Amino acid sequence: MHVIRLGAAVAAGWLAVAPGFAAGPLKINGSTTVNPPVAEAAELLRAEKGLKIQVDTQGGSSGGISMLAEGMVQLGMSSKHVSAADRSKFPACDFREIHIGEDAVAMIVSRDVWEGGVRALSREQLAGIYEGRIRNWKDVGGPDRRIAFFNKEPGRGTWEVFVHWLYGDAKKAPSVSFPEVGGNEEARNKVASTRGAMSQLSSSWADGKRVFALGLKRDGRVIGPSSENIASGAYPMSRPLFVLTCGEPQGEAKTMIDFLVGERGQALVKKHGYLTLAELKNPEAARDAGR
Amino acid sequence: MARRRRWSLTKAASWTFSVVALAGIAGLAALFAVQSLPVWKHAGWGFLTGREWFFRESLFGAAPMIYGTLVVAAVALALAAPVGIGAAVFTSEFLPRRWRLAVKLAIELLAGVPSVVYGLLGILLLRNWVYDALEPFEPLSGDTLLTAGVLLAVMLLPTVMTLAEDALRGVPGAQRAAARGLGLTATETVLHVTLPQAAPGILAAVLLSLGRALGEMIAVFLVVGRQDNQWPAPVHSVRPLLEAGQTLSSKLGGAEINIAYGDPLHWAAMAGLALVLLLLVTTLTLLGARLRRTDHAT
Repeated sequence: MHVIRLGAAVAAGWLAVAPGFAAGPLKINGSTTVNPPVAEAAELLRAEKGLKIQVDTQGGSSGGISMLAEGMVQLGMSSKHVSAADRSKFPACDFREIHIGEDAVAMIVSRDVWEGGVRALSREQLAGIYEGRIRNWKDVGGPDRRIAFFNKEPGRGTWEVFVHWLYGDAKKAPSVSFPEVGGNEEARNKVASTRGAMSQLSSSWADGKRVFALGLKRDGRVIGPSSENIASGAYPMSRPLFVLTCGEPQGEAKTMIDFLVGERGQALVKKHGYLTLAELKNPEAARDAGR
Repeated sequence: MARRRRWSLTKAASWTFSVVALAGIAGLAALFAVQSLPVWKHAGWGFLTGREWFFRESLFGAAPMIYGTLVVAAVALALAAPVGIGAAVFTSEFLPRRWRLAVKLAIELLAGVPSVVYGLLGILLLRNWVYDALEPFEPLSGDTLLTAGVLLAVMLLPTVMTLAEDALRGVPGAQRAAARGLGLTATETVLHVTLPQAAPGILAAVLLSLGRALGEMIAVFLVVGRQDNQWPAPVHSVRPLLEAGQTLSSKLGGAEINIAYGDPLHWAAMAGLALVLLLLVTTLTLLGARLRRTDHAT
């Protein structure tokens, strides 16, 4: 690790003293949830301003945070806050979170479960499934079939939102071993192609055709991950979407950030199914906009 | 008479490059060994024998991943070796020369297909085939050790076949002619003369493919399920094959490496997995290369 640290330090030193060397492409990495609007913004900036931008999604949010902190990319994408643990792990990076939109984590199920009558789960039921006490859908009002739970990899923003709601803190989450899925695409495909399947997924990716978002039962009410419920805070598993920088954003990174929080960038956020900053401040608008 | 030159430029260059290659491997092993030191101090041999991997509780047991790696490789070999060797016998011993070259070229092209392509095919087709075909056994999903093994077998087939074919072609034609002269049929010649003579080379082909099988990441990653802590309860049953699992390489390819980074013990555990994998692959490859060099009787 020291070797890598040393290498990173040398590389960072180079970047500092040799501005010409830093004129490579703007590199962005992180969350597959934040990726769609950012990738499309990159596309537009490439075409309009001739910027060179590379967008990648290695390792999800935690990949974005660590690669940013190590100077391998200039912008990170994250669907979770940078934790105190991350900050102490990477003291050299003064993390800045730039809020570009809001998203919810939906519990998605495959078609047979949805059509078998499971439309919503309570927090206790979800915890029961996650802890392995509930293993069959018939125990929560569904068909007689084993529950095939695909867990999002730890470190993914989606996973952290999920366990945060169930247990208050990712550190308090019980140790479990399920088959794991990585990006949103993989989670959706695997749930869609498996009977009795369930996973956590960014709600904007729950298409309602191949995978179906469950509502959450709270005090006798069923709350779905609609824009309105996310904006008002009624749906509990919502989360901010960030791009991250170390220190004040500069140069092309700043161009990208200004674009994302500007009118056209926000339109892209909306286009990909997420809540815009304006909607977040004004739940009424979100309700009118519908989903 | 000119003095025999002990050191030609060619010889010096090939020595240099060999040393560089060797130093590369040794350097890698040393790097991983040093980086994994904390986990050996923390868990000792328990790192290899432990069956539980929960990084948030600092439990690092690699046994389920070693098990997963070996099972997937075994399934792959059990399928790829017979078919590959059979195909090699056919092309080498029974096909006319022109056809042989065409078939060999096609097979070698297959060997060059990037593994991510096989992985996508695995997701698109194989996962569902395995899932549907084995429905009576109620696999939880199409992501199983068996799926990974079958996919790997498809990927290894060209390698096994082309290397085994080389081994068979290495048997001198005079041996075949002599066997036929003694009145053996073509089949008997293959069974009693060519195959035994080529056996070390064929074994080498299998070992070299096995080395590749153990290290293969992307394709396996996509269909193995990546479930930690899978240990077969009944050992004498095929049931564990239908469960999801984790291999050394699929663990290393996952997102956990990002969490491990910056945490010395967790990082050491990941480096330890890399070390185990590197040693496994290197041993098999060296063994295979050694067997391949064995001379034939002439």
